[in-house]
Amino acid sequence: MSNIIEVSNLTKSYKELTAVDDLSFEVYEGEILGLLGPNGSGKSTTINCILSLLNFSNGSIKIFGEEMKPDSYGIKEKIGVVFQEVSVFDELTVYENIDYFCGLYVKDKEKRKEYVEDAINLVGLMDFKKFYPKKLSGGLLRRLNIACGIAHKPKLIFLDEPTVAVDPQSRNNILDGIKKLRDEGATIVYTTHYMEEVEILCDRVIILDKGKVLAKGTCDELKELAKIEEKISVEVNKLDNKYVEEIKNLDNVADVSYNGNVLLIVYEKGKNNLSDIMGLLKKENIKYNKIYSERPTLNDVFLELTGKELRD
Amino acid sequence: MIVFKAFLKILNKNKSIIILYTVILVVFGGINMNASDTNTNFVASKPNVMIINNDEKNEITDNFIKYLKDNSKIIKLKNNEDAINDGLFYRDVNFVIYIPKGYGKDFMAGKNPEIEIKTTKDYKASLADMLITRYIQVASTYRDMGNTDTELVKNVNETLAKQGEVTITSKLDTNKLERITFYYNFASYSILACLVYVICLVLSSFKDIKIQKRTIISSTNYKKINRYLLLSNGLFSLILWSLYVILSFILLGNDMFSKQGAIYMLNCFVFTIVATTIAMFIGSIVLNKNAINGIVNVIALGSSFLCGAFVPMQWLPKGVLRVAHILPSYYYISTNEAVKSIETFDKESLKPVCINTLVLLGFALFFVILTNVYSKKKQKIG
Repeated sequence: MSNIIEVSNLTKSYKELTAVDDLSFEVYEGEILGLLGPNGSGKSTTINCILSLLNFSNGSIKIFGEEMKPDSYGIKEKIGVVFQEVSVFDELTVYENIDYFCGLYVKDKEKRKEYVEDAINLVGLMDFKKFYPKKLSGGLLRRLNIACGIAHKPKLIFLDEPTVAVDPQSRNNILDGIKKLRDEGATIVYTTHYMEEVEILCDRVIILDKGKVLAKGTCDELKELAKIEEKISVEVNKLDNKYVEEIKNLDNVADVSYNGNVLLIVYEKGKNNLSDIMGLLKKENIKYNKIYSERPTLNDVFLELTGKELRD
Repeated sequence: MIVFKAFLKILNKNKSIIILYTVILVVFGGINMNASDTNTNFVASKPNVMIINNDEKNEITDNFIKYLKDNSKIIKLKNNEDAINDGLFYRDVNFVIYIPKGYGKDFMAGKNPEIEIKTTKDYKASLADMLITRYIQVASTYRDMGNTDTELVKNVNETLAKQGEVTITSKLDTNKLERITFYYNFASYSILACLVYVICLVLSSFKDIKIQKRTIISSTNYKKINRYLLLSNGLFSLILWSLYVILSFILLGNDMFSKQGAIYMLNCFVFTIVATTIAMFIGSIVLNKNAINGIVNVIALGSSFLCGAFVPMQWLPKGVLRVAHILPSYYYISTNEAVKSIETFDKESLKPVCINTLVLLGFALFFVILTNVYSKKKQKIG
């Protein structure tokens, strides 16, 4: 797999604030790379530097093997960007907006017409072609925003939090569209602070905080960084403290808490933790409503690495 | 081409503004033009004079009364002070002359007897005063030359009968030019308001920071897009100017087919260039669409009021006109005002027109430089 993007020692400072601090990473051809981090972690700044929208203090950026500069129109031709904010003309219809932004890359009228139709189909806006943006819901606007960014069929796509404030139906549509783009051969850099999306979509993940790389790898590789193996939650209406203490003494248990009606047991390792706890509940005749087991999430990894939650 | 296409679509969405300002021009410009349609025929005016003659019959006094009868309208009122005062108050009479007893004899004796008068002190009374003064001055001259009564009457009548011949050489129809001036003065408001409004709205869409980001990262050179935008705005200005010129031909008809008409059109063209550069500058600094309406009111309405687009320049206070010197509309309207009195087109008469045009082009250059300096500062985001 060849490198599509090579970022080396990238540093971007605003007066005394270092937004991106000595960042280095690569993006491989055909993958979806997730840039995960809380708000203000430097995700958007990194993307803006890569796109030459921002000057940076130090480091180098190569895209498709060439140094990226503001006038690298040959590279820009192969890039599509979907910004966090909806960037469309209020005065143009859905079709006209996509046509305009596609037209900045594709001059051939016939080819552009075909591309615009493909983009509309990809994001599911077939019934809204003649609508003006003001008439669209938040979710549909986000889809239009994506269509405007990818209509020219770029080889490299940057998606900067495209699902912020989007309804579940539109979110699923957007995520399906992104998978389709990857399947069609595009390389995607996806920034978000929704770890669920990263887990669904991304082949590799880079976790950022305060402009630094905290960890990178596949989701499974990252989860290994968390010192927990499993989390079991049990809905119990009433539970004496003695049982909480008893559970703490079970094998592999790292932590036990009982808040509200939920008993949360965190295991460091082990394979039969669920059957063990169910056995105990049966033995002590403790009634419970629901019981479920979870693998550690990227949030747990982030918590492990920084001591705070991703959405803090 | 894609930029021009989008420009036209955005322009189409804002066509109501163009229609609005064109209607304003036709309606209010039309009202102004009709208001200027004044009658220029001259009608001879005679003062109403009442003569109370207390002198006995003699050649000198009789000839004086005859002269007054020939050159004024003689009014007969009751010879009492109340009736005379009422007549003066109600302007039935403008001038009352009391010829004293022995006036003719005393005059010829060189005593310069006084004539008592009562007047309404208006322009008709002044006219009567001038008639009397003129007669007495001429008569005094002949008397001093030693004329007898008969000789004096004959000579005075001959002298006063001579009328100065006045020939009007000017073929300039000031009334028609006044109408064109009103139209083109008012057009400055519509042109400035329409261009600032529309260009700012279009530019605020293209220069929106989010759209700009998307444009900068595209494979089309951003400078090229700016050039297309500049051309599109220029084309729109040209079309608007053409529309208003065609409208002037429709409203003013054949009056426009003249040398003066050509200067009005050219002056309007130069002003359109200035208005375009102003609009481009404002469009580059103002990105908030909601603020544009207020800006148009301040700039277009403000400069039109200060520079005499709505009210003739000569009616404006000197202080206001002094302030107006800093505004392009002043030089445009000054040219229009100058054109209506140009009879012969020579170097001297066209000098103020040329100076005003140069000042307007200077304004255009100033705003182009200002826009470039500002744009260069803003070129890099972050």
